[in-house]
Amino acid sequence: MSFRLLSASALLASVVFSASVHADTLVLYTSQPAQDAQMTVDAFEKANPGTKVDWVRDGTTKLMTRLRAEMAAGVVKPDVLLIADSVTMEQLKQEGLLAAHKSAESGEYDPALYDKDGYYYSTKLITTGIAYNTGAKEKPVSWKDFLKPEYKNQVAMPSPLYSGAALIHLSTLTTNPDFSWKFYEDMKANGVTALTGNGSVLTAVASGTKPYGVLADYLAIREKAKGAPVEFVFPTEGVSLVTEPVAILKDSKQQELAQKFVDFVLSAEGQELVVQQGYLPARNGTKTPEGFPDRSAIKLLPFDAAKALENAEKDKEDFSKLFN
Amino acid sequence: MTNSQPATFKNQTIQWWVWGLLFVIFVINVLPSGRLLAEALSDIAQAGQSSFWKVLNAPATWQATWHSFYTSMLATTLAVVLGAGLAFFIALSNIRAKSFWVFMFMLPMMIPPQVTALSWLQLMGPGSALLQLLGVAPALGSPQPLYSAWGIALLMGIQHAPLVFLSVRTSLLVLPKELIEAARLSGASQSRIMLDMVFPLCKNGILAGAAIAFVSALGNFGIPAMLGIPASYYVLPTLIYQKMADFGPLMLNEVSSLSVIVGLIAMFGVWVQHRFQAKIPLVGMPGKPLAFALGRSRIWCEAGLALIILVILVMPLMALVTSSLVPAIGVVLTMDNLSFSAYAQMLTGQGVTWRAFQNSMLLSVGAAFILACLALPLVYVVVRRPRRFYSVVLMLIDVPYALPGVVLAIACILLFAKPIPVVEISLYGSLGIILFAYLSRFLTVSLKPVHSSMMQLDVALEEAAQLCGASLTRRWRDIVFPLLAPAAFAGFLLVFLIAVNELTVSALLWSAGNETLGVLIFNLADGGETVLASAVAVSIVLMIAVLMICLSVVGRNLPKGVIPWRN
Repeated sequence: MSFRLLSASALLASVVFSASVHADTLVLYTSQPAQDAQMTVDAFEKANPGTKVDWVRDGTTKLMTRLRAEMAAGVVKPDVLLIADSVTMEQLKQEGLLAAHKSAESGEYDPALYDKDGYYYSTKLITTGIAYNTGAKEKPVSWKDFLKPEYKNQVAMPSPLYSGAALIHLSTLTTNPDFSWKFYEDMKANGVTALTGNGSVLTAVASGTKPYGVLADYLAIREKAKGAPVEFVFPTEGVSLVTEPVAILKDSKQQELAQKFVDFVLSAEGQELVVQQGYLPARNGTKTPEGFPDRSAIKLLPFDAAKALENAEKDKEDFSKLFN
Repeated sequence: MTNSQPATFKNQTIQWWVWGLLFVIFVINVLPSGRLLAEALSDIAQAGQSSFWKVLNAPATWQATWHSFYTSMLATTLAVVLGAGLAFFIALSNIRAKSFWVFMFMLPMMIPPQVTALSWLQLMGPGSALLQLLGVAPALGSPQPLYSAWGIALLMGIQHAPLVFLSVRTSLLVLPKELIEAARLSGASQSRIMLDMVFPLCKNGILAGAAIAFVSALGNFGIPAMLGIPASYYVLPTLIYQKMADFGPLMLNEVSSLSVIVGLIAMFGVWVQHRFQAKIPLVGMPGKPLAFALGRSRIWCEAGLALIILVILVMPLMALVTSSLVPAIGVVLTMDNLSFSAYAQMLTGQGVTWRAFQNSMLLSVGAAFILACLALPLVYVVVRRPRRFYSVVLMLIDVPYALPGVVLAIACILLFAKPIPVVEISLYGSLGIILFAYLSRFLTVSLKPVHSSMMQLDVALEEAAQLCGASLTRRWRDIVFPLLAPAAFAGFLLVFLIAVNELTVSALLWSAGNETLGVLIFNLADGGETVLASAVAVSIVLMIAVLMICLSVVGRNLPKGVIPWRN
C-alpha cells in the first residue's frame, strides 16, 4: 500500500518537475557572462516565437565536468554548447560527441574560424590582454612587466582549471620560446595570484584588491564604458585568442532547433548582437564595437591548436601543482 | 511518559499507516546516509588501494581538516564571546526594547552565508563603495583582508553567535530567582553572584551553544567558499565541492570517503551538544525572569548594544546596498551616478534571476508543505503511542540536518545517480533531487515546533472526546489539528525561511534550468557580476526580514519554545 502510494507520488513528482520541458525547449551550456547569454537567448526566442531556451553559465572547464558527469549518469542535458575555446570543441569532436551542421552562413567567415566538417563555428574573437585599475601607479605595456618588483603581489590572473580562455592563454605562452613555463614560474615567484574565472579577475582589478590583471578584452572594455576605473591594453608581444565556438551535441533530441540556434548566432543579426554586447565579431564585414582597435591592428601570439589539445590535461596538472 | 497515556492506547498493534509513515521517514532520512556509508566502504577490502586509505593518505585531506578545525575553533570562540555576552546583557538586565534587540541579533543567523560573505566583501578592501564614499578606503593593491582564515572565522563567528545566544538565554531564563535574591540578602556583591551562581548555572547552556556553533562552522559552505576559494584556502566542505566541480563523478568514491570523515566529526559535535543540552532544566520558573537593574549605566549599555548591531549587521548591509546601486564595480557612489539598473535587470524579462526565484519558491514551499504533512501525524504517533524505538527514529531525523550540507548532497547524488529502480525515473539533474534533499534535511526543523506543541497538549481533551464516541479521524479534525496548526504553520515558515536561501545542498545538485536563489548569488558573484549579485542579495535580505516579522507575529499565539528567538 505504502509502496504504491510512494511510487504514485514519485510519478506525480516526475510529472510536475518535467512539465517545464516541452517540445520546443533548447538547453544551452555557455561560458558567456549571464547578461550576454540572456541577451542572446532573448533575441533567439524573439526571432523564433514559441521556442524556449534554458541555459547554464559556468567556466568552460567546469561546464565540461558537468557535461561528463551527466553523461555518466545517462542524462545529457544540453543541446547546444557555446563555450570559450575551439580546443575543447576539437576534443569533443574527436570523441564523436558533436553533430555536424553545414551552416549556410559559413561563407561569411574566415575558413580558419570554423571546422571544415561543420562540427563547430567561431562566434566572436576574444583576446586575453592586460587590465589595470586607473588609479594604479604603473601603466603596464608588456607581459613581462608582471615580473618587475613594482608589480610584486599586485597581479591577478584567471585559472586554467576554471576558464577555457585561460587554458588557451597558458598554452599560447608556454609553447612560445620567449615565455615558456619559466614565465609562469617567474610570475608565481613575483606573487601573481590565480583566482577563478575572468569575472573574479575583473572584480579584483576594478575593486583594487589586485590593481593589475590578465583579463579577457571585452570584460575590461565594457566595464570601462559603464564607468568602472579599468583600462585595457594589448601588450606589445601580442595577445592570445579564443573564438567562443558554438556546436551541437550529437545526443540532442532537438537537432533542428539547435541548427536554427547555430545559424542565428552566425547570422548578420546574431553578430550585430555580439557587437552590441561589446565583443569583436567573428563574421567578416561586421564593424568593431566601441573601445576596440581595428581588427587588423591587433597582434596575435602564435598558437598551435594541436599541441594545446595534446597538452591540455598535463598543462592543467602542472599549473595546479605550481599555483596551489 | 507512558504513565500519562490512556489505557486504550496501549498494546495496540502498529497500524499500516504508521508503518507507511515510518517507511517514508526511512527513505528520506536514513537511506541517503546509508548509501554514502556503503559507497565509502565499498572497496575497503582492498586496504591500501581503497579510497578511504587514499583519502587518509592525501596531504590535502589533512590540510583541509586542519583548516576546518582552525577556522571553526576561532569562529566558535568569537560566537561564544559575542553570543553569551549579549545573552547575559539582554536576558539579565533591565534594558528596554528587549524583543527588538533579540530580533536584530537573530537576523545575521537567518541571512544566508553567501550573502553575509558578499556584504562583508563589499564593506572591506580598497574597492569598498561605502569606504570610498567616506573617503577611508585602504590604498589600491591592499589585499582583501577577508580572503583569509581570520576572515572566514570572523564571519562564521558572527553568523553563528545567535546559536550560542539562544542556548545561553534558555538557561538564563530558567535561573532560580529566589536563590539569587537569597544571596543578595546575605550581602553577596554583583560580581560574586555572577561568578558563583549565574555562571556555573548556565555553564551547560554555554557549552551546548559552543558545540552547536562549532558543528555549524564545520558544515558552513557559503562563507569559506566565497572567502577561502579565491585564496586557495580550502576547508573540508569546500574541498569536497571543489573535487566534485573539478573532476565530477570520477571522484565520487573518494569524495564519499571524505564525506564520511566530515560526517563523523559533525556527529561527534552533535553528541557533545546533546549531552550538555540535556542538563539544562526545561521547566520554567514561576514569576518574572531575573532582571538586574542597570541604573544610570543602562543608557550606555544600550548604546553599546546599538554599536555592536551597527558593526555586525547594519554596516555590511549598507555596503551591500551601496554596491547594488553603483553603475559598475569600483565606481564611487554619488547622487549623480546612482543607478537602479541592476534591480531593473533583476526584475525584468524571463531571466535566470526570475527562474531561480521561481525554483526556490517552488522547492521551499513544496518542502515546507510536505514536511508539515509528515510532521503532524509523526508527532502524534510518537507522543501518544510511544514505543521504545521511536527515540531512535527521532535521533535519525536529526542526522541529515546535523550533517554538513555538502555531505548530504553527495549522499543524494549517490542515491540518484542511476534511475530509481522499478519506476525508472531519474531524479538526477532535476528539481526532484533538490526537493528530496530538502525533505531529508529540514524534517527536524519542521518537526520541533509541532513536537513541543504536542507535548503540551493535554491528553484529557482527546480522552473526553473518545468517551463520547468520537473516532480517531474526528478527534484529529476537531481537537488535535486545530491545536497543532499554529505550530505546524510556524514550522512551515521556518522551513521555508531556511530552504528559500539554501546554498550548501543545491551547490552540488543544481542543473540547467534548476538553479536556486542561493546558487544564483554564488554564481553571479563568481562571474564578476558583483553589482547584480548585490541587488539580488539585498532583495533576499528584505524578504527574510519580512518573513521573520511574520513569524514573530504568528508566534504570539504559540506556546513557548516554538519560535526559537521568542521568550
